[in-house]
Amino acid sequence: MRYDPPFHKTNGLVPIIVVAIGLILFPFVFTDTFSRHLLVLVFVYAMVAVSWDLTLGFGGLVNFAHVAMFACGIYAYAILAKTLGVSPWLAIPAAGVVAMILAVAITLPILRLDGIYVILVTLAFSQLLYQVVISQSDLTGGTVGMVTLPSLKLFGYKFIKDGKIGYYFTGLLLLAASVTVIYWVIRSRIGRAIVALRDHKYYAQSRGVSEARTRIYAMAISAFISGVAGGFYGSYVRVASPDAFGIGFLTIVLSILLVGGVGSLWGPVIAAFVITLLAESLANLGPWREILIAILIILIMVFYPGGLWAAVQELREIVDVRRSALTAWFNRRRYKGRRQELLNVEEKYIETDHGTIAVADSGGDKPVLLCLHGNSSSKEVFQYQFESYRDRFRVIAYDLPGHGVSTNADPETSYNVAAYADAAEQILEQLEASEPIVIGWSLGGYVGLELAARANVKVRGLVITGTSPLNIVPDDFGAGYNADSHMILAGKHFLSPTETKNFVTSAVAPLTEESAYLHKAMPRTDGRARLYMITKINVTDWPRQARMLREGKIPFAIMNGPEDPFLNHQYIADWPYGNIWTGKPNDIPGGLHTPFFNKPKEFNAEFDRFLKEACGF
Amino acid sequence: MAAGTSIGLFGPNGHGKTTLLMTISGIIDPWRGDILFEGERLNREGERKSQLSRNINYDVIRRRRMDPKKVARAGLIHVSQGNTLYPEMTIAETLAIAPIAANGRVEETESLDKVYSLFPKLYERQDQKARFLSGGERQMLSVSAALMAAPKLLLLDEPTLGLSPKLRLELAEAIRAIKADGVPLLVVDQDVEFLESLIDTLYLFDHGRISRRIEKEDLPSYEEIMSLLFEGAS
Amino acid sequence: MPMEALLSVLTGGLVLGSLYALMATGLAVVWTTLGIFNFAHGAFIAVGAYVAWQISSADAIGAGFVIGLVGAVVVLFVIGVIAHFLLVQPFERKPNLVLLSVVTTLAGATIFENLLIVGWGARPKQIAPMLEGDLHLGEVSISQNEAIIIVLVLFILALVGFFLRRSRTGRAMRAVAQNREAAQLMGLDVPKLFGMAFGLSAALAGLAGVFIGSIRFINPSMGADPLLKALIVVIFGGVARFTSPIYAAFIAGMVEAFAIYYVGLYWAPAVLFALMIVVLVIKPEGLFGKHERSV
Repeated sequence: MRYDPPFHKTNGLVPIIVVAIGLILFPFVFTDTFSRHLLVLVFVYAMVAVSWDLTLGFGGLVNFAHVAMFACGIYAYAILAKTLGVSPWLAIPAAGVVAMILAVAITLPILRLDGIYVILVTLAFSQLLYQVVISQSDLTGGTVGMVTLPSLKLFGYKFIKDGKIGYYFTGLLLLAASVTVIYWVIRSRIGRAIVALRDHKYYAQSRGVSEARTRIYAMAISAFISGVAGGFYGSYVRVASPDAFGIGFLTIVLSILLVGGVGSLWGPVIAAFVITLLAESLANLGPWREILIAILIILIMVFYPGGLWAAVQELREIVDVRRSALTAWFNRRRYKGRRQELLNVEEKYIETDHGTIAVADSGGDKPVLLCLHGNSSSKEVFQYQFESYRDRFRVIAYDLPGHGVSTNADPETSYNVAAYADAAEQILEQLEASEPIVIGWSLGGYVGLELAARANVKVRGLVITGTSPLNIVPDDFGAGYNADSHMILAGKHFLSPTETKNFVTSAVAPLTEESAYLHKAMPRTDGRARLYMITKINVTDWPRQARMLREGKIPFAIMNGPEDPFLNHQYIADWPYGNIWTGKPNDIPGGLHTPFFNKPKEFNAEFDRFLKEACGF
Repeated sequence: MAAGTSIGLFGPNGHGKTTLLMTISGIIDPWRGDILFEGERLNREGERKSQLSRNINYDVIRRRRMDPKKVARAGLIHVSQGNTLYPEMTIAETLAIAPIAANGRVEETESLDKVYSLFPKLYERQDQKARFLSGGERQMLSVSAALMAAPKLLLLDEPTLGLSPKLRLELAEAIRAIKADGVPLLVVDQDVEFLESLIDTLYLFDHGRISRRIEKEDLPSYEEIMSLLFEGAS
Repeated sequence: MPMEALLSVLTGGLVLGSLYALMATGLAVVWTTLGIFNFAHGAFIAVGAYVAWQISSADAIGAGFVIGLVGAVVVLFVIGVIAHFLLVQPFERKPNLVLLSVVTTLAGATIFENLLIVGWGARPKQIAPMLEGDLHLGEVSISQNEAIIIVLVLFILALVGFFLRRSRTGRAMRAVAQNREAAQLMGLDVPKLFGMAFGLSAALAGLAGVFIGSIRFINPSMGADPLLKALIVVIFGGVARFTSPIYAAFIAGMVEAFAIYYVGLYWAPAVLFALMIVVLVIKPEGLFGKHERSV
């Protein structure tokens, strides 16, 4: 299962547009050539670092010949454009091709190697290239290098005479193209193969991924970009010097990559800006500059080895948690009346170990009907059940921790099915409600199953809807649901507006006036609740739930919509229930994932029948 | 656990028996609770704090609650599951460094003699590297290395795993001899009969918890234990 | 090839080989115990040379060569232990230890190199050799300094080998290298042993620095070339046994000496690199390698 929306439908779109506009306007705001020069350097470093990440970060192949590919790109440009007189515009891509061919040659000896050997061989190979370059002084100028390389020209317009604007935009364009290529590659089949080989080599191989071919592809693509960067750099500084092979340049680019974050696309780009500008601002410190930067890199690696991109992610998470908490706090006051109107009961707040929980309780000394809502929703989804059953039952619904107007809770302990069941027990105890009949929807269905399986509370009857019973996790998870892309969103941390709309439309209902508040419930939900529901899946004792269902001591029914896009209906029908009402899962005609909301009349009729036949009401 | 008695742990795979032993010996840092041995606390006080950030390297910021070295030197020696020890070192070399944990509690030559009399095979092959040994011999080497460290309690994690029935018997005999020599044991194993011959008390392990304690006198049959563990499941 | 030239090439190869052996053994000790590649090894060589220069040179303290040598070894051992604590220890439990330590040791190398520039300036210096004059053995003529270096290196390597094989600490170090978890369960002090291995490696690098410094000039970036040569030697020979990089070092030294004679100074390193790559393609675990890594 993999979810890859097109880029313009992700949350990355807006920041990229903002940054792109900023970079396009930059040379017109800062008109001095020095700041443009710095940015050109940033673009070159970023290209080298980002393309290196394809092999080192995504491929897990510690390829130290990458910087040599850059240097070879410079020399290839120098020889082609100066000695052979090829047009610079042709020489730059040709430099990429030269680097690519060399990279394939390097890959051949390392095809059988792993880990530290790859470092050693690639490092040795790049030194071999260095030795060859300095020994061929007729062709390469030896240790002196080559100077006065041809610069770029476009229809008589000379790039060296326009205050570096031409180079600035060429560099920006090349960087954008490189990032696009890498973005495309890591989402393609090749990219998946590259990552699969890194994560689990033997498993990937046994599934038919060719290690040799994938390595060659990865090395070739990353070397091409690096070579192009080298060619462009050669045309810009107009010098080809053997220093580019040196350990100094390697250290800079490697630091950019690691400070940015290995295995991320944007991290190295960000770090290229940070490190280059930092290095420039310390330029007048001499050797102390190198020392300070090295100390900084060590400090980052020691204390925060994830690098800048991880920091950005963490910052984003903090902001998102604050935002959702603030939304909940605001909603609790602002829309209280509307919520109470929907359910026609007063909202209460109960302190539990899992935060403050907002509870709707129709009250009275009647049998208890507990309604548990699903992932990224809120208790109001049960409005029609409140309406129909409040006369005969004490209907209770609450917002799960991190959902609705309940507070956010500690993700480590409170965002999993067992914790939700624990919260339910605490709420029932504080409300002095006992022996509930439970309706569980989707995630709430698991909470209901868990509540019944824990048997701390006697459950008089249990109906699950939109839930596949699980026994062996995660295998059954894959079997019980359709790997529909909207389903995968259920466990995604951050959602874009399109994703929210897609998910709620599939899970609840298309956006109408009636369901508008449910579309708002999803962005309020703490994203960590979705994430930890998946990561903490093993906290719950799933076989115990399965045992409970097989024993069949509790009246139990399944009421699903036959049109439910998420469920694998065959899996649910084949499950070996010990005692299920009517002997099979029940269909609510025309129902979707949320039949009690889409088809309340039909659902309630069926539920009435269950109450009467199975629970004796 | 009472002094001088031996106990066994029995439970399904993946329910945390090995994790428990790893925690006792300090390889895994425990979240809460204390590990007391002979009245001495082997861990630092307080709870292990949960991590606020996924990316900060807490290894350098927080001290671990437990130090495996301290546990081993207190006399709790752990023979881990399917362990090959040091593939490139000979039996003699391995046994020579093993007494480091004993802190000079015993005479080395004496315990070496004892080990070689217990496992004469090892004496024959003492200049072989560990990677050339068979699975049974490796396991014998692990147990002997633990014995050289003068254990006050021997933690054995599935000592008979992957061995042929004959070797299993041989090893069981040796472990019985060790026990008869006065070394208390904590054995994890899947073989109830094997456990029965070694231990005084059996603990059943289920979902990370000790679910039942059974004294040796009323040790039930294999089928009964299975039904205790998997009640209701078919 | 005339006899005289052959003999001088052979002695040259022997000197190079013994220096390479010293450096490669240092690298191999860290590689096999900690499983990482120490890019600061070249910087340790330079630091060792400068420490020895500071202690021995008449322009500085002027305590003589032997005290300089001992001083360099002691100081480098301490630096190695500290470097391990700061640069490698923090990632001990991280799965991507290899990559992280590559970056930190590279950064460490940058720091040492620039501190040398700050402290002593970039101008080359020379350590006065141990013994002046030449040694004549029949047809062969070798400077006394180089002769004593060869003897000393062999003696020191034998000592290190003895330490790793026979002493309890050395054996414990090898045990930690081969199975860290088992070593922990046996009560070995793993961080201390790792630190000692790193210190030992740094001390060997320092020694190499002193010897190189007494033959050639020293400057702050003098470690880069020896580091690469040591790297070739380690790849070339593999690390299956303590002795395999040593044999490989002498082979590499001889190859380089002959290559200088036949194809010239510029092409000699390329010959070595090409040879190494050929070895790797045919036998990736090294000339004397078996598949496992260990001391």
